Amino acid sequence: MEHNDILEQEKQAVEQLIAIRPITADNAVFRRTGGGFVGMDYTAPDGEVKSFTRVSVHRCFPFSDPGRYISIREPEGDGKEIGLIEELGALPRETQEMLEEQMALRYFIPQISRIKSIKEEYGYSYWDVTTDRGVCRFTVRMGGGSVYSIGGGRYLINDIDGNRFEIPDLNKLSSREIRELDLFI
Amino acid sequence: MNLKYTLPDREAETLRPFLKSEAIVYCVPCDMTREGEGDAAGWTVVTKRHLFLLMDGLLADTVALEETDEILCSPQVNCGLLLAKAGGEERLLCRFSMRHLVRQSYAARGATLFCRQVDREVQSSERERHCPTCGRALPGTNQCSRCAGRGRTLRRLWDLCSRYAAPLLLITVFMAGISALSMGQQSVIRDFIDQVLVPASGTAKQLGGFLLVMLIILAVQITLHVGKTLWSNSLGTRIAKDLRERVFAKISELSMTFLNSRETGELMNRVVEDSARIREFMEEVFANMFTQIFIMAGALIMMMVIDWRLALLTLAFAPLALLLVRLFRKKERRLWRQQWRMNDKVNGRLEDVIAGIRVVKSFGQEQRETERFQEYTERQTDIQRRNETFWATLYPFVTFIITSGTLFVLYFGGLNVLNETMTPGQLVQFMAYANMVYMPLQYLSRLPRMLMRVSTALERIYDVLDEQADITDAPGSVEHEITGDIVFDDVTFGYHSYEPVLEHIDLHIQPGEMIGLVGASGTGKSTMINLLMRLYDADDGHILIDGIPIDTLERDCLHGQIGVVLQETFLFSGTVFDNIRFAKPDAKAEEVIRAAKMANAHEFIVKFPDGYDTYVGEKGYTLSGGERQRIAIARAILHNPRLLILDEATSSLDTETEYQIQQAMNRLTKGRTTIAIAHRLSTLREADRIVVLDRHHIAEVGTHNELMRFKGLYYGLVMAQLEMHKVRGEKENRAART
Repeated sequence: MEHNDILEQEKQAVEQLIAIRPITADNAVFRRTGGGFVGMDYTAPDGEVKSFTRVSVHRCFPFSDPGRYISIREPEGDGKEIGLIEELGALPRETQEMLEEQMALRYFIPQISRIKSIKEEYGYSYWDVTTDRGVCRFTVRMGGGSVYSIGGGRYLINDIDGNRFEIPDLNKLSSREIRELDLFI
Repeated sequence: MNLKYTLPDREAETLRPFLKSEAIVYCVPCDMTREGEGDAAGWTVVTKRHLFLLMDGLLADTVALEETDEILCSPQVNCGLLLAKAGGEERLLCRFSMRHLVRQSYAARGATLFCRQVDREVQSSERERHCPTCGRALPGTNQCSRCAGRGRTLRRLWDLCSRYAAPLLLITVFMAGISALSMGQQSVIRDFIDQVLVPASGTAKQLGGFLLVMLIILAVQITLHVGKTLWSNSLGTRIAKDLRERVFAKISELSMTFLNSRETGELMNRVVEDSARIREFMEEVFANMFTQIFIMAGALIMMMVIDWRLALLTLAFAPLALLLVRLFRKKERRLWRQQWRMNDKVNGRLEDVIAGIRVVKSFGQEQRETERFQEYTERQTDIQRRNETFWATLYPFVTFIITSGTLFVLYFGGLNVLNETMTPGQLVQFMAYANMVYMPLQYLSRLPRMLMRVSTALERIYDVLDEQADITDAPGSVEHEITGDIVFDDVTFGYHSYEPVLEHIDLHIQPGEMIGLVGASGTGKSTMINLLMRLYDADDGHILIDGIPIDTLERDCLHGQIGVVLQETFLFSGTVFDNIRFAKPDAKAEEVIRAAKMANAHEFIVKFPDGYDTYVGEKGYTLSGGERQRIAIARAILHNPRLLILDEATSSLDTETEYQIQQAMNRLTKGRTTIAIAHRLSTLREADRIVVLDRHHIAEVGTHNELMRFKGLYYGLVMAQLEMHKVRGEKENRAART
């Protein structure tokens, strides 16, 4: 019979994996930790209350819909999903702020507001731009793939360090800036 | 990578009172505030007892390492966080961009060692991506070819060329010859005009004489040209071949750590492409450009000799032409680049659709894909049309400008002829030289780029050639006949400093024992074996074979006594016979047959039409997984190793074949220390002990029975596999009944 137990466990694990567990103001309480992160008390659908000293906050659609479908997960590499917040705006103001803070820690994609210059030299281009996070200088490998469109005039740029930058709307740039970008788009 | 930056004065001043007498071990920049303001001036400083965070010249945070369990570097999306873990709680320390992620993770690992009272420094073998001096990107090399100075690159080129002094000298002689003849040819034409045409007193005989001289000059010139091309091509090929061989030899000598820090493709590029670039340079640039330069120099000298004032006048126009050509080139490159990108896109699209045609069809998306493709090709056509128009108008224009420069010469030279200070022949000669100076300008404007290309290629090649092999035999290494007693003593290791794969592994394997290694993928099973084979050196702890630390054993001696059978059996191109003899090339036919018999391989090999002479490997006879596996086992048996390693040796086989191989394997493992990794636990029936790895640690050790009684991880694995078999069996039965 032990065999059946294990099979049963496996089945349950699969069920757990495919279930979508909504996290709402009713079943979860978030709190700031002393270390600068966020912890959570969560009441599972079966009534069991679980306390997490720290949770990770991931966006399902970081570009297309950053405010919805927020995945709350156990921290560390192979952390499992605890639940999904469908609409961040539906949570209490304070909770929203907490989670926004955590996501601001997790995601770092400066938005380029002005392109000062792009210099090309022997297979690399050197960008000098102004972003919402301040002045940035970075290096992009020439050749395909470093600059790509994600639709709606939005472009992402990969630099050689693995940082990413975003041009929120190509059409809002001046014609000089667009000419500088000519080589890439 | 640099882990020991020097703190700027302001920061050093701030930190001094807190440092007391502690020495800074790691000092790495942190370029962001916690709120994500880029361009911040932060520093993470680690001493043996503390971790200090400096932000904008102020001390922002201090962590006492003794009271901390761990310093963690946690990669986020395009940034990273540094955390301190103490008493189960994590505290955010600082945040940085990807530029410093690797650096910070090394520092974090180093600090964690200090937390655990381990007095050891970590070092980074990873490359800087930017030149620390000028900030330019480094193309996978240690030195920036700019900052190291042209001198260094030239020295390397010289070093390379000095090996080929004789052919180079010959080519130079050819080039000088061609140049001299081009000059001479013009003098002959001058005489032809001045002595035969202008006085109108020439005879047909004189005409014939000149014709003959011209013909001879032409013939010699062409011969020299052919000679030059042949020699420089053969030299280019030779240099490339030598370099390829040197790089290849070096790569196979270097350790896995070096190889892992490079992508396979990139290393292949160095062997293939970079050496090809140098060949190209020798063949095209060196031979042609330098001939052009020779001719230009010759023409300049001749012009000076004929009329230095006119020569200077001619040259006055050159800078303008050069500038124009450069501008034109820049624009041209831009347009080309655009066109390439578009071509790339169209090709990529095409490849996508054709490769995925089954998906496209099965979802009925042909129409949409066709439209998308049309859109791409239309854009491509637009760009092409635009570029063609541009070239069609601009090329003639540039030629016009350059040619019109020489027209000035015609005017002033014409005046001289009218004043009779110059003969018509001299004018024609002069004009020809002026053209020789101007025409190559377009071509020569490519020279800096070409030189940069070849210096980058050289840099990348020498980067490998200069690399020191980091796993070498220490002085005083011993040869030793292994009996098979293996000890892992508190071994910690990670391929990247920021993710340890094995932590504190303690294991004692008796001589002749067979150990089964079990665990989920990624728990470090194969890593243990890599360490035992000394493809890597452990970060911490020791591995002892018969009580001798593995790093004091001679490598050849160690590898000569370890036999490995892997899941993916790699057969080299060659015959079955050669493949079995791989580890012992002088083995006799009889030995090979005996080994093949022991591996249950002899039967199927003899059934091949070509027997042991069957050609296998790429483009060779296709063997089944089981057959390949048995050949690999025969190889290991022939090798007769003291230590045997089986890494998933039977996992890709069906049950029946596995049974046969199992038998072969039992013969092989008898009396030898054996470590076997297996997912299919039935393979480990014969194992004396089972070691279960979980999350980088050894979770359980014991015999099959002990572990089954223990009802831990191993028990769970066995039960799950039994169930799977049972369910599958039932299904098959049911299918058979209906």
